[in-house]
Amino acid sequence: MENLLKYIIPRIFQCMIVIFVGVTIVFIVPRLTPMDPVQSIISRVTALVDTDPRAVEKLVETLTDLYGLRGSLLEQYLRFWKHLLSGDLGPSLTMFPASVVDIIKISLPWTIGLMTISTIIAWLLGIILGTLAGYFSNKRWSQILGTVVMCIYPIPYYIIALILVLLFAYLLPIFPLMGGASIGLKPSFSWSFITSLLKHGFLPAISLVIGTIGWIFMSQRALISRLVASDFIVFAETASLPRKKILSYLIRNSMLPQITDLALSLGGIFSGAIITEQVFSYPGIGVVLYSAILQGDFNLMMGISIFSIIGIATAALVLDLIYPLLDPRIRYK
Amino acid sequence: MSKGKARKFLTSLFVLLFSVVLVGEVSFAQLPVDIPRNETLILDQIFRYGLPRNFNLWNPNAANPTRQGLVFDTLWYIDQQTGKWINALAKEPPTYNKDYTEMTVKLRDGIYWSDGVKFTADDVVFTIQNIKKTPGMLWNAQFDLYVDSVRKVDDFTVVIKLKEPYPRFDSLFTSRYNACYIQPKHVFEKVEDPLRFTFYPPVSLGAYVLKDSDPAGYWELYERRKDWSRTSTGIVTKKPGPRYVLTIFYGPNEKKVAAMIQHNLDVLMDLDIEAFQTLIKRNSYARSWYKDFPWAWGDEIDHRFFGFNLEKAPYNIKDVRWALALALDIVKLNTDYIGGVTRVTPIPQPATSFHMKYYHKPLLPWLRDFKIEVANNEYFKPFDASVPERLVKWAKDQGYTVSGKPQDVFGVGWWKYAPEVSEKLLTKHGFKRGKDGKWLLPDGTPWKIPIIACPDEVDVFRLAIGAADQWKKFGIDVTIESLERDPYYVKQRMGDFVCTSSWGMADGGGASAIIDKWPFAYFLHSDYYVPTGQSANAGNSLRIKSKEVDNLLEKMGALSPNDPKILELGRDWMKLFVENMWGIPTLSFKKFVTVDNYYWTNFPTAENPYGQPCYWFMGGRFILPNMRQTGRK
Repeated sequence: MENLLKYIIPRIFQCMIVIFVGVTIVFIVPRLTPMDPVQSIISRVTALVDTDPRAVEKLVETLTDLYGLRGSLLEQYLRFWKHLLSGDLGPSLTMFPASVVDIIKISLPWTIGLMTISTIIAWLLGIILGTLAGYFSNKRWSQILGTVVMCIYPIPYYIIALILVLLFAYLLPIFPLMGGASIGLKPSFSWSFITSLLKHGFLPAISLVIGTIGWIFMSQRALISRLVASDFIVFAETASLPRKKILSYLIRNSMLPQITDLALSLGGIFSGAIITEQVFSYPGIGVVLYSAILQGDFNLMMGISIFSIIGIATAALVLDLIYPLLDPRIRYK
Repeated sequence: MSKGKARKFLTSLFVLLFSVVLVGEVSFAQLPVDIPRNETLILDQIFRYGLPRNFNLWNPNAANPTRQGLVFDTLWYIDQQTGKWINALAKEPPTYNKDYTEMTVKLRDGIYWSDGVKFTADDVVFTIQNIKKTPGMLWNAQFDLYVDSVRKVDDFTVVIKLKEPYPRFDSLFTSRYNACYIQPKHVFEKVEDPLRFTFYPPVSLGAYVLKDSDPAGYWELYERRKDWSRTSTGIVTKKPGPRYVLTIFYGPNEKKVAAMIQHNLDVLMDLDIEAFQTLIKRNSYARSWYKDFPWAWGDEIDHRFFGFNLEKAPYNIKDVRWALALALDIVKLNTDYIGGVTRVTPIPQPATSFHMKYYHKPLLPWLRDFKIEVANNEYFKPFDASVPERLVKWAKDQGYTVSGKPQDVFGVGWWKYAPEVSEKLLTKHGFKRGKDGKWLLPDGTPWKIPIIACPDEVDVFRLAIGAADQWKKFGIDVTIESLERDPYYVKQRMGDFVCTSSWGMADGGGASAIIDKWPFAYFLHSDYYVPTGQSANAGNSLRIKSKEVDNLLEKMGALSPNDPKILELGRDWMKLFVENMWGIPTLSFKKFVTVDNYYWTNFPTAENPYGQPCYWFMGGRFILPNMRQTGRK
């Protein structure tokens, strides 16, 4: 009970403040930009069809009402919280009358699938390879591996994505150019759908893995290099403990910062991988967010950002709560 | 099983599974197995549909390109290539009473919705009434403004009574890009909230029905109706067209090019010149409008121009605007920045084949004789008719073969590159050069021109760079502000700009393949003028305000668009614009509409210009039935 009061409740309260401030910022910032969703639609409508100026004025009025953009910033803000607390993120302004929640529901599963798998694969590979490279730092293969990662690490992930598209979707067309699954396939647990899903997700996932593994590998190698000189490892080696055992000690002692990184990465998947999804024409939330930003769709931008804020804040909260379980030293403090 | 064996087994299983996934579809086909490639026309969807399962195209947010031609229909069309009037759902052009307060429409008998219900006057009457009572729907505001009442005389005759005389009311049902889509009364009459209704799956009035679609919005598959001959497309073309049409969005240009090289895309809307050149090098079946240089389709109904906020000094001075025009070298602007692939236009009008016939070429004698006063009693004839020949020469120097006559391919001419005349025009108004040779405004401060431009509208952005380079060379400090579309539109409408590299209708240069210019200029009447700082929703973002414009527009507005005087007044509008140089029209719009003739052929080309290649327009419906299979499988 004492733990609950002293440790858990303040952290939950802190998390709620972070969410409140974050949501308030994402409400205000788009409205400070020179974007106007109504004007955006008017421009689209009148760009291709000559329209009576009086009709344009009337359409502006109607759309302003429909989109709930009438009233002062404060009135809109209060209205927004009222709707949000009832689970309503409002309608998308560029896909009206579809609700923001419905749009997110279509795209988010694709992003969660892609990002979760690629983040976990990159993390596991980075940890394993980084540990081995750090522990066997004098071996030739370790130095070669380090050099390769150092070369790949600075390459922006979208360049890697473009190279992969060029190599494996054009020059050697074994992977599709676009989409999340083959045309005509309905989502199901059928073999054809699952293989199609894997095939369409393979290149985007690989590009994300390559793009993120470098940092995990290098940070893990650095941690291990430091830990290798620790007394407990020296003692373990002197005592001729099996290498597997020593490696497991090393991994466990290097986990705290890496778990933080993993949790925050997983929390951040709700905002998608904008450029990766664009390059691979992958139907995730990143593509939706990008077009919402371009077209000034405040509600959709806010909806996706809210998911992201809640995701990261929750990940940070969970971390705070599980740190004592992972590291006894924190528990004692 | 020992641990080692288990590990080997798991590794082998993983490798096997992975191989199956990879090799399972080695001959990667974009289509489902039951859809034969040689019976499917694959069209570039242009963009990903954010909300794919919304076919309520009366909602301003729904995606309409291509869909509108396959599934929706309206009364009349004007082919944007030939200017030909096409009666679609109506069997003849509209008739008006004497004072243009009543329009009568005679409909075709024998057209059916895809669910078997007959199309009748009830649908047209219902559509107008339903839209009129639903704020937020496209055409709601227009019907509310113009329509007093609508009634059916018989099953195939509709009479629309207007609130005020309006000889162009039929334009709301005459498709340029689109026009009021007719609603199926038997579907919409049961709908409680028509604006929120998704109309999915749509009941089709076009020759196709939606067969399948991607919930993520990347593709849509359409199947030709078995009763295609009972649609206006079938009646007009008498041809069935491809059995399937797949619209697909591959993503950025490089992916579209890759798809067309692999013959997984038959027609695409546009590419930048570099991507197009790569494509034709790698796919010998691919081509655009011209077989040879300049390749691109130059009859897109739009043009590029540099616009100024005419309320901001010194751009409120006509001579300053002329000075800036004469400091531009159009041949260099076209060749160095656009690749020389489009036509020049000295008037606010795209230099399409249609418009050149009625405006550019007949205005040539006037353009040649036109003079501006450079200084007291010193006149200068700015027009340069040699521009097309110079562009041909440039093209030949590059090793290109040019298809067609210089004027037809590159336009009738433009303004001379005459910086010495610009100098005189500026000096006349108190401008002078500083010690560094750069221009100073009459108040002695350095002259700076910030240009706003959208980078995604590639040509206008490149033109902005070109103008910046050339005006800098002339001695003006020019910067470019790169903006996304939304902030760009807002800045332009609010008048929060000095110079814009633009396109569209702001200079009154919008167009359709019709002679009448009033529909594209009437928002420039001072009735719709708003000062800088207020949103020019009507479209007059340049803030043109002129009694001469008002008089001209009033005269045009009072006439029927078919009145013979309309052409003369349209030409007067062009002359008035040129005299005042309210903006600097530069180049005609062009598009690398590209077709891969591997599976399908007979898409419109310069050698066979039977119709508009813009398949995404509503009138694209009349092109698709002309596509012919090559026999390849």
